[in-house]
Amino acid sequence: MSRVDESSTGFDQHDEPLISLENVEVHFEKEQGLSDLFEEPDVVKAVDGVSLDIEENDVLALVGESGCGKTTLGKTTIGLQRPTGGTVTYKGQDIWAAKDGNGEIPFDEIRSSLQIIHQDPGSSLNPNRRILNILAEPIKLTHPAVGASERRERIHALLERVGMNPAADFADRYPHQLSGGEKQRVALARALLMNPDVILADEAISALDVSLRVEMMDLMLDLQSDFDTSFVFVSHDLSNARYFAEHGDGRIGVMYLGNLVEVGPAEQLIGDPSHPYTNVLRWATPNLSRQSGEASEPPMRKIDIPDPVNPPSGCRFHTRCPEAREACQEVVPQLQQSGEAAGHRVACFRDDPNHSYWDSDPLTGEDD
Amino acid sequence: MTTDDPIIEINDAAVTYDGGETFVLDHVSMSIERGEILGIVGESGSGKSMFADSMLDAIPDPGRLSGEIRYHRDDGTTVDVLELSDDELREFRWEEVSMVFQGAMSSFNPTMKIGGHFRETLKAHDADVTSGMEFARELLSDLYLDPERVLTSYPHELSGGMQQRALIALSLVLEPEVLVMDEPTAALDLLMQRSILTLLEDLQEKYDLTMVFITHDLPLVAELADRMAVMYAFQLIEVGDREQLIANSGHPYTRALLNATPDIEAPLEEMRPIEGQSPAPINVPQGCAFAPRCPLATEECRVEDPASTQLDDDHAVACHYAEDARDEIALHFDRSEETVPVSGGDGS
Repeated sequence: MSRVDESSTGFDQHDEPLISLENVEVHFEKEQGLSDLFEEPDVVKAVDGVSLDIEENDVLALVGESGCGKTTLGKTTIGLQRPTGGTVTYKGQDIWAAKDGNGEIPFDEIRSSLQIIHQDPGSSLNPNRRILNILAEPIKLTHPAVGASERRERIHALLERVGMNPAADFADRYPHQLSGGEKQRVALARALLMNPDVILADEAISALDVSLRVEMMDLMLDLQSDFDTSFVFVSHDLSNARYFAEHGDGRIGVMYLGNLVEVGPAEQLIGDPSHPYTNVLRWATPNLSRQSGEASEPPMRKIDIPDPVNPPSGCRFHTRCPEAREACQEVVPQLQQSGEAAGHRVACFRDDPNHSYWDSDPLTGEDD
Repeated sequence: MTTDDPIIEINDAAVTYDGGETFVLDHVSMSIERGEILGIVGESGSGKSMFADSMLDAIPDPGRLSGEIRYHRDDGTTVDVLELSDDELREFRWEEVSMVFQGAMSSFNPTMKIGGHFRETLKAHDADVTSGMEFARELLSDLYLDPERVLTSYPHELSGGMQQRALIALSLVLEPEVLVMDEPTAALDLLMQRSILTLLEDLQEKYDLTMVFITHDLPLVAELADRMAVMYAFQLIEVGDREQLIANSGHPYTRALLNATPDIEAPLEEMRPIEGQSPAPINVPQGCAFAPRCPLATEECRVEDPASTQLDDDHAVACHYAEDARDEIALHFDRSEETVPVSGGDGS
């Protein structure tokens, strides 16, 4: 497989992360009806003060339940969502300064280096175009000089690489003639044609049958090493996140109501979770080694995630946390190094044996 | 576990869309015990939704269902479901066997408050609305919802998990004996799915329900089910006690499916995908439908479709080489340290 583009920017920045998020905030104003016209708009803090680096050839899995902000954080990381606070830099260049025309790296180049594959590949593939034409588009964009027959060759080679044989047959089909797994492979192939530095896989395997998920993850990991691409893998399923991140020698980040509450090497985070919310996600992950009847009560006090318009004070998890004490209502715990493992950080007072948490009273009531 | 008190008996149920050439449910027989939780597992296009729909004689047009579906009431009388008139069927579908589908959003009328749905349903079935709404509030509380808030909300004002729980409450408001759920949690995140599963377990005990839970997600339903059935290419290929089916499955497909599932504790290198694809209705292979993908397949498999045979008590498998499969296809998760109970404890 020929690499599509080697020129890139020419900068040599080995000490700098590929992408760096610094205290990023994404606050949305909630849509309002006419009757609310004169009131202050409700604000959803989808991401609230997250700092994170993505290196070259990095794998980061973001996990959490619906509404935790993992997808918004993912989209902010690849420059699809403009943050309302903080900065996102690509190779040291502020992405949104580049967008406004004040950058050394052109915004178009940044955008094509950061790609996304969606949960529903069907909706991102034009139903009226054959696969060949869908995949020709990015090549025309990045390599206008490449002729039609070479383009076709490249597309066939790539289709074969993503496991779609015979390539010529698949290239002639329309999206509706493909299965869900095949569409997802086309979406992946299209992203790779942009020769990206980072691919955001946003619940990219969630809609696939269980038996196809491992195959799709293996393919992404194979291509990651072939193409020197980093992956940000967003999932609500901790066992998928574990498979992807542990195979890719990467990290898992746990989001809760806009905050990153725990991040660390996949093996460390799964084997020895420090945050009570990580433990809840672990409970939610089916485990075949468990005997029946062990489907125990959830290790949390409430089933539903609080309204993000009006998130709880202090630690946002305190309203559901089985370990919550009064101290948790007051101050927001910061992400700090946990234990010995390099890069394992957690935002929970319980990680500090000297914290005043240990002297405060437990919370048990419904409305704490 | 088996109490020999079936509530629904499905006999040779088959569904065809072209007058008998190809089947999207291929002559399936199954007996559902009163009070059990039965998990039915199959991938997309395996026929599992057809199985669910056939129990209620609700096959979408122009499909044709043949065979026999018998429903045994508590009082000893029996209903031949396929002989019911449209009115009788409408009654049967709410008051005896109720069904919950994936995606509550499309089941609720977006312009009607949740409370309105409960009242309409009660009125349509000539039930007492006052006591019915009382029961609705209890069901909503059982599902960890605030009844007043939910009943006065429009569907879109609730989260996906709340909507789906409200829909489960609605399906139970006429006190059916059986609740059939077709991928009821598939659109929700894993935490909500697991939470709903624990609530279903509580509901089943409290109201003595029989539950049929249909899903593509084997590990999920394995947490809940007493008994499980696996579908492949429009047929049931393995049925058994939950423990047997997980720890001691006899069909190569079931074992491959177990190994293909990402697991939180299993060693990574032992999870592997199933090679190939399941067949479409028009080209189901002759002989055993799984043979082209099966590592143990022989000429016999390619010629003769294996009949379902008893492997253990309450464990039947349709495979010529079930014993060999157990020996030769190792499972990636470790249950060897534990003793597998032969039968459940509470199957009264």
